[in-house]
Amino acid sequence: MKAWLKFSPKMVNQAVITDLIKNYDVSFNILRADINPKGGKMLIEISGSEAEKGIEYIEKAGIDLSPVNRVVKKDTDLCIDCGACVSLCPVKAISVEKDWTVDVNDKECVGCKLCTYSCPTKAIKVVE
Amino acid sequence: MKTIEEINQRIKDGDAVVVTAAEMTQIVKENGADKAAEDIDVVTTGTFGAMCSSGAFLNFGHTDPPIKMTKTYLNGVEAYSGLAAVDTYIGATQPSRIPEIGIDYGGAHVIEDLIRGKDIELVASSYGTDCYPLTDLKTHVNIDNLNEAIMLNPRNCYQNYAAAINTTDETIYTYMGTLLPNMGNVSFSSAGGLSPLLNDPYFQTIGMGTKIFLCGAEGYVIGEGTQHNTEVQRKNGVPVNGAGTLMLKGDMKQMDPDYVRGATMPKYGSTLYVGLGIPIPVLNSDIAQRTAISDEDIVCQIMDYGTPKRSKPIVMESNYKQLRSGSVEINGVEIETSPLSSYKKALEIALELKSWINNGDFLLSNPVKLLKSEGSSPRPLEIRRQTVLVNEIKSKPLITTSPNDDIGDVAKRMVLNSINHLPVVDADQKLLGIVTSWDIANAVAKGKTLLKDVMTKRVVIAREDEPVDVIARRIDKHEISGLPIISKNNRVMGMITAEDISRLMCARNLKDGV
Ligand code: SF4
Ligand code: SF4
Repeated sequence: MKAWLKFSPKMVNQAVITDLIKNYDVSFNILRADINPKGGKMLIEISGSEAEKGIEYIEKAGIDLSPVNRVVKKDTDLCIDCGACVSLCPVKAISVEKDWTVDVNDKECVGCKLCTYSCPTKAIKVVE
Repeated sequence: MKTIEEINQRIKDGDAVVVTAAEMTQIVKENGADKAAEDIDVVTTGTFGAMCSSGAFLNFGHTDPPIKMTKTYLNGVEAYSGLAAVDTYIGATQPSRIPEIGIDYGGAHVIEDLIRGKDIELVASSYGTDCYPLTDLKTHVNIDNLNEAIMLNPRNCYQNYAAAINTTDETIYTYMGTLLPNMGNVSFSSAGGLSPLLNDPYFQTIGMGTKIFLCGAEGYVIGEGTQHNTEVQRKNGVPVNGAGTLMLKGDMKQMDPDYVRGATMPKYGSTLYVGLGIPIPVLNSDIAQRTAISDEDIVCQIMDYGTPKRSKPIVMESNYKQLRSGSVEINGVEIETSPLSSYKKALEIALELKSWINNGDFLLSNPVKLLKSEGSSPRPLEIRRQTVLVNEIKSKPLITTSPNDDIGDVAKRMVLNSINHLPVVDADQKLLGIVTSWDIANAVAKGKTLLKDVMTKRVVIAREDEPVDVIARRIDKHEISGLPIISKNNRVMGMITAEDISRLMCARNLKDGV
């Protein structure tokens, strides 16, 4: 799952994430991060057999965790498969298929909305 | 050697051999041009791209009492009506007159909605005459109750077109789409080897009267498009940049909304995606060879759109095989590419046209006059009032400050010289930041004493040789009031402010008597 972690200033210096990876069978991906001495937030993707337990651990450690229920959706009626969005995506979530259809992969998307803004037919929406 | 009449007879008999331009590339590679010219009768091409220079003539019919329309709005988008009483021309890039809508719904969207059969609000006004007494009108029209709805596009189907990149450090929004800073992406627009005019690069078959696929209906080439250019450098027989263009005409009542689309390039404007396919009769082996051109053999120059000038610097020369692969390498860095036109739709169009011909529904036409293949090159528009460059503007003597200066001193200097901006420089006069009177007030309020703690480090700058109009746009865009002027060797030469520019404009207008 994907989630935002919010750190309070006193949490920033603690090794919660290191402990998480050491002690649980999880794989952990940082998709976006914005952290400074005054706290901050981080968009993560967490998976693995002990993901649930890992999430519990994070919350117990005092990090505010809010799951992301966001989907990026392409309206196939509006999309003309021009491909203008492809090179804009920072995480390569948009690709061109063999038959030249433009495909958006929800799993990879970090919700930056660059594609939404730039699509000439307004075919891509990010829904929270 | 074949004639169009012979090919048409074969189409009628169901014997014609029709292939797409993509298939033809392979066929000629395998069998050679001579054999291909014998075997193949027609090659179909296709493109589905943003074509801003598009529009439509509409005739509404006469009201009772009659009106001689002088202003018309379709769904809030103004159409030109200086044509008799009830004719109008709606252009694709005209934005909505409602400011909140603007470019999000323009003439291109009106054209799409008409073809979709939707009702369109028509508002018209006039000055009233003895024979046309009505002065205002508000009603609805749709494609069925219009007398004529004729798409007439002055410039479509560019033969080739430069790809775009952005070397500046900010995102720019152009008719080539969104261009990320620091060469973050490349966008290109031509359908390459499938593109109609790249398959007949010397216009041996295409001309006034060529019957084509236009937005899902039969349409016609009615001549060269505006800015038709035959004098562009060629490689492998095809121009390396924008060259030939077409003027096209078609009946919107017959068109299919699958092959036309109103769209908006963010912060640029509305535009029409036009689906277009041209059949090329394979009359001889030279034509067969030309239609065999592959993506790899078509050069495309990547140009820097970060330069808002007519001639843009070329960053690299690429080709459509590379561009379509998803990335190109520039200075050792992989840069992702985006097509702006739909290759999927282009292929669909070439296949659709092929099936029309195979079914005997579409015969080829003999053009009455081929497109010009030499002696045509568009002239630029020279502005009679010369653009003033930054270094020609009279600015105040240069005063600078250094990062370790005391804020109190800096404040005094600003007041003494009555200026609001001060560039912060190092010993070599190189720019480190900028400080404004607002920054100073801010520093005093927060009890800061050193300049380097309050100066702005990311500075928007003006180059000495840039036109002042470009700087005016930059001031507007960044909502700032002044920029340091930087020389070629990166030294601060002075400041240019919004005041300097408005003073210049006033003087200019006085001189011109505006
Ligand atoms: S930019 Fe929009 S229309 Fe073009 S491929 Fe992407 S989603 Fe489709
Ligand atoms: S929202 Fe951003 S990350 Fe998601 S698909 Fe669009 S460009 Fe990619």
